[in-house]
Amino acid sequence: MQNFKFIRPENLDQACRILSENRGKVKILAGGTDVMIEMRDDKLPPSIEMVMEISHLEELRFIEDDGKNIRIGAATTHAEVAESELIRKNAPLLAEAAATVGSPQIRNRGTVAGNSITASPAADTIPPLLVLDATVVLRRGTEKREVPLRDIFTGPNQTNIGNDELVTEIYFEKLPDDTRTAFIKLARRNSAAKSRMNFAARARQNDAGEVIELRISAGSVTPSPARFNAAENILLGKIPSESLLKEAGEAVSGDMIRQSGYRWSTDYKKPVVESLTVRVLEEVLTIY
Amino acid sequence: METIELTFTLNQREVTVSVAPNRRLLDILREELHLTGTKEGCGIGECGACTVLLNGRTVNSCLILAGQAQGSEIITIEGVEKAGGKLHPLQESFLEKGAVQCGFCTPGMVLSALALLRKNSTPNVDEIREAISGNLCRCTGYKQIVEAIQAAAGKLQRK
Repeated sequence: MQNFKFIRPENLDQACRILSENRGKVKILAGGTDVMIEMRDDKLPPSIEMVMEISHLEELRFIEDDGKNIRIGAATTHAEVAESELIRKNAPLLAEAAATVGSPQIRNRGTVAGNSITASPAADTIPPLLVLDATVVLRRGTEKREVPLRDIFTGPNQTNIGNDELVTEIYFEKLPDDTRTAFIKLARRNSAAKSRMNFAARARQNDAGEVIELRISAGSVTPSPARFNAAENILLGKIPSESLLKEAGEAVSGDMIRQSGYRWSTDYKKPVVESLTVRVLEEVLTIY
Repeated sequence: METIELTFTLNQREVTVSVAPNRRLLDILREELHLTGTKEGCGIGECGACTVLLNGRTVNSCLILAGQAQGSEIITIEGVEKAGGKLHPLQESFLEKGAVQCGFCTPGMVLSALALLRKNSTPNVDEIREAISGNLCRCTGYKQIVEAIQAAAGKLQRK
């Protein structure tokens, strides 16, 4: 394994200071479920001189309700999110997604914030967080910046987060009571499996059955996780029918082909994307 | 290279070691402390052979960097047996039910089972399967392993 200096800051302020003073030289380590593998394969960039542990910082380990939003500290693990009553009640789709990540051992270490900023196209917690309109809170030195999660992705495994910035939390607004949510994961087996594809959705309908709110997102469909606005717009304001759901599925696969190109796998993926879209929509909508 | 000094609780005893910062918890256990019960399988957090309990939760010790162990409480398979070398009911049941074949996955399996039984003393088969879902057995003796965990839960209940 590569050589480096190990840093264990006493608090968040110190961590941010170290990061600013050693721009580009510090690798941040929280759960380590991705970073440790990178280090094992000697894949840390040569500029890295220090590895800074943050998973012990209590300031980054919380799940709280501030009245309007649910806030998740950056060092909070998948297991903590999956077990949290607050998350299960206010964002069940996120609890479900966190419960499917890796294995129990991985969930006990890996963090939701880390899963987000690693920006894998197959990440399990990103589609639910996109559907929740999550915001990422970042610190650079003493400055704080907030950015919508959807705006941080620049490509597969890439974000525009600066190398002197530290994610401190992710938050999202609590869902209205009449919201329905769903998360579907397609993988080779039930455990220790990367998602082949995953879908997350939330929706609300009025008394007449018209869709008044709808958000759909999926992993491993587009190069960066994203929402599918075209599919959403097909159903917004309408009373859902089987044929509209099918149309929404075709809109998602259309977006996939536009963004990822027509690949060898497209003939296999297209019908799956379409039926998973229908399936996730059936879970959140009452069909007439 | 500079070394770092770490103090943590290992199998209920405080230990202090001086190690290179790029070592993993797994390396410290096996090579510094000579506790070779913890096995290295895949080295990338997929097989669970290196499972230990860290602050009561199962983790892959191949994914824990040395310095992250600072101040923690760690239990390895060597810390599972009772005083005087008496086997834990889980270990007894693994032997009785034929849940040990080549034995490589066994330490990790026992620790995952221990973490489960501490949380849930009467697990059903699905809960047992979920608890050991991060531990691969290439001999594929899963059925006996599940039976052993059920039997151990029963023994612990009767105590």
